[in-house]
Amino acid sequence: MSSFFIGLILLFFSGIVAAKCPKNFKITALSILSAIGSGFCFVPALHSLLSGEYFVKTFVFNDLFGAVNFVIDPLSAFFIIVISVMSLASIIYSKGYLKPYIEKGKNINAHIVFLPVLVASMMAVVTCQNALMFLICWEIMSLSSFFLVIFENEKKEVLKAGIKYLVFMHISVIFIIAAFAMLSIKAGSFDFSSFKDVFAHNAHFANIVFLLLFVGFGTKAGFVPFHNWLPDAHPAAPSHVSAIMSGVMIKTGIYGILRTLALIGNPSKSISYTVLIISIVSALYGVLYAITQHDLKRLLAYHSIENIGIIGIGLGVGMLGLAYNNPIVAILGFAGGILHILNHSIFKELLFLSAGSVYTKTHTRNIELLGGLIKSMPKSAVLFLIGSVAICGLPPFNGFVSEFLVYLGMFKGLSIHNFFSVIMLLFAIAALALVGTMAVLCFTKAFSIIFLGMPRSEAAEKVKEDCGLSMILPMCFLASLTLAIGVSSVFVFAIMLNPVNIFVDVSQYNILPAISLMAMVTLYALAFVVFLGILIFIKLKLTNGKIEMHETWGCGYNKGNNHMQYTASSYASPFLSMLAPLFKKVFDIEKPRKLFPQSAHFSLHVEDIEEAYVIEPILKSDEWFLSKFEGIQSGNIQSYIKYGLIFLVIVLIGCFIALG
Amino acid sequence: MIILVNLIILLLVPFLMAGVIKKTKAFWGGRKGASIFQPLYDFVKLIKKDFVISRTTSAIFKIAPVIQIASVLFAAMFVPLAYGSTFLNVSAGLIIFAYTLSLGKFASLISAMDTGSSFEGMGASREACFTAIVEPAFFMLIASIMALTGTTTFDSLRNILANAGSYGILIIIFAAVVLFIMILIEGSRVPVDDPATHLELTMIHEVMILDNSGSDLALFSWANGIKMLLLSSLIAFMVIPAGLNEWLSIGLYLLIMFIISVLIGTIESAMARFRMSHVFEFVFVMSSFALVVLSLVVARMFGG
Repeated sequence: MSSFFIGLILLFFSGIVAAKCPKNFKITALSILSAIGSGFCFVPALHSLLSGEYFVKTFVFNDLFGAVNFVIDPLSAFFIIVISVMSLASIIYSKGYLKPYIEKGKNINAHIVFLPVLVASMMAVVTCQNALMFLICWEIMSLSSFFLVIFENEKKEVLKAGIKYLVFMHISVIFIIAAFAMLSIKAGSFDFSSFKDVFAHNAHFANIVFLLLFVGFGTKAGFVPFHNWLPDAHPAAPSHVSAIMSGVMIKTGIYGILRTLALIGNPSKSISYTVLIISIVSALYGVLYAITQHDLKRLLAYHSIENIGIIGIGLGVGMLGLAYNNPIVAILGFAGGILHILNHSIFKELLFLSAGSVYTKTHTRNIELLGGLIKSMPKSAVLFLIGSVAICGLPPFNGFVSEFLVYLGMFKGLSIHNFFSVIMLLFAIAALALVGTMAVLCFTKAFSIIFLGMPRSEAAEKVKEDCGLSMILPMCFLASLTLAIGVSSVFVFAIMLNPVNIFVDVSQYNILPAISLMAMVTLYALAFVVFLGILIFIKLKLTNGKIEMHETWGCGYNKGNNHMQYTASSYASPFLSMLAPLFKKVFDIEKPRKLFPQSAHFSLHVEDIEEAYVIEPILKSDEWFLSKFEGIQSGNIQSYIKYGLIFLVIVLIGCFIALG
Repeated sequence: MIILVNLIILLLVPFLMAGVIKKTKAFWGGRKGASIFQPLYDFVKLIKKDFVISRTTSAIFKIAPVIQIASVLFAAMFVPLAYGSTFLNVSAGLIIFAYTLSLGKFASLISAMDTGSSFEGMGASREACFTAIVEPAFFMLIASIMALTGTTTFDSLRNILANAGSYGILIIIFAAVVLFIMILIEGSRVPVDDPATHLELTMIHEVMILDNSGSDLALFSWANGIKMLLLSSLIAFMVIPAGLNEWLSIGLYLLIMFIISVLIGTIESAMARFRMSHVFEFVFVMSSFALVVLSLVVARMFGG
């Protein structure tokens, strides 16, 4: 346990040390220092995850905090491992990504300081078991990530997105504070373990607190309808920061929900259904909007919402299993959900990093302007493809393993003989299938428009070479992880049982059928990989000499050019036109006029329906209401002193009334 | 033994089904038609041919057909073929089956987009769209039947009658309709798609493989045939009773494959393909029938 704190402190200060280094050595220093720091945190976490042991360290600061417990249990350990490995990959990647900025003379010191602070604060969040300390760590996490998002703060839209993120985080933290305040008043202490009794004795109270915490943590995680900050913040941030935020940081929200569940023990049916329904909506909403996007990073951000939804479906199924007293369903659901946290962080980070590579080379995120990059950037293309296949949940990659577990949980859950649960699960199964196929649609679109066909603009055409090794290597590492988990699913499942143990006592139930099934899936995936490898090898060997090159078939027209290709919008259009009422489409059309038209253009972009119909009206009415008070802001100092005086008098009177 | 027979069925019957469909169309058209082995001869001829490949394409285009055929063959492991025998009869095999097929579909979609042709983009976009509607309905259908019978393997298809009594017949009929529509969509047959058409603008599956030639083309159409066989096998599995004699059961299975092929051929001769906007409506018919099965199951489980 003490090595964990050494690592934590190292991480906190590694940025400051690195910022003092010479210009070209800064990020190398940061990578080395944070590698050591993460390593120190990683070792006890791995030990706890594999053995199921608990490590506890208690600090006593002062009377206000009480005893502050830092605990590494398998659940925390799981999150520490995800945080340390994934952040390290991003930090190493940032060396290549930030190079052009350093060459241009941009000051990156603040960025370097906050990067490891974010990592350290996330680790503190997932281990701290004291409500007050937890909030402090949570706030450090939100603020440091805010400073990372506004890296390119000279751009107006980046600053705007950053502030939106900050506002959302602070609205969400109000709910968390409220819930913790209610809990600590009832329990008489800030310690999480004391909350357990409160939950155990007040079922109704537990529901309310859970919902408050779900709103608070769900905003961080990006559940619909609290997701609105995600699609703005991710495109604004540099790619490696988006990777950390989407891959790791939003998972701390899931951690909060899981920790709350662990304290509640046996969730009520109503909140189980609530979680399941919100998750299904999030998954569908996320993938649907992802299909509409042409901005690569916005698209990936919406996919984060989708995957958070899938994780939530896993948790929801687990909760239903607990609520209906069906432990096998609970084990499968939780195992699937928790494993999907790891899987999503791997492939989403891989995708964000390869999106970053594309951005460094082409300087655009608009996929309609890309194309044909597989020829100039073959490594990034293959890596992006692996990430795409994995995120669609297709075998033999890791996404399949966790989605399979979630599905399995739902199928087993069908045996719960209850009208609502059967209907709910049947629709959840169909919804998850829909999400999967929509993800296939979205990623075939993204991959083929970015990397295949002919370059659609000069930006894509003039790319000559792939990215450097410091960017490719972390991505290769992540890509090999996706495959490794995909073909060793039974071991991964067995390890996941340790965190699940916190929710259900696994050892009491017979999970051998599930394990043997997973073993079969493992063998199947291995056989598939080998078979496919052999086939591809044969195919490429056998057909090497027999190929004649020709133009693409165009009904006999041989001069097809890049403007005649299908675009991302047209690829998605048949599907989206069926669901037209779910979007607000904004057309920007300038029709060709006059005899000799000078200019004409057409563009279409889809606005988030929640933003257009919920958030905008609220902001408008807010603005109207607050404008009534404009008169107070007179601008001369005397009147402000007057306000201060009036305030003091009111406080004084209030005190007299309260005391007298 | 039975595995060997099934392997032969899996690899060969798709060609025969295609042959029977063509023969039926010839019959209704008043022609004599080619031998039912013609698709097999075509396959052999295509395998021997060289390739003509577009300059725009990359390695994706070359390996996609292999991925497609591998995924279809591996997905076949989970489906009960003749005599109801499944190579891997596991819990939730439906998911592995469907997701492995999706991998092949993923490969064929990006291979179509790899050519940079707008026709192929069009086909890929429609194919992706249909899959997105078909798959949830398919999952809902099978999952409802699993809820009814209480098992999570494909065996539940066979236990419908035992579990649902008089509802069973209705469920089987509706489920068979759903699966049949799915065969038409996945196999790209009339009225969804016309494999014999020569207008690129209106095609779906066929337009995706416009630029494929030689063994690539052969592998794609073979994979498509196997996919149709797998879905037809699900219908056969639902209908053929369990306790039959081995050879009788295999005979019945082949008979059902024959009937399905004749039915497809007859539909193809009797009607034209739908206008593209109507195709989407037709695809939704499948979803609504799946919903009917779901409500029947729920009515049986919880109604009086």
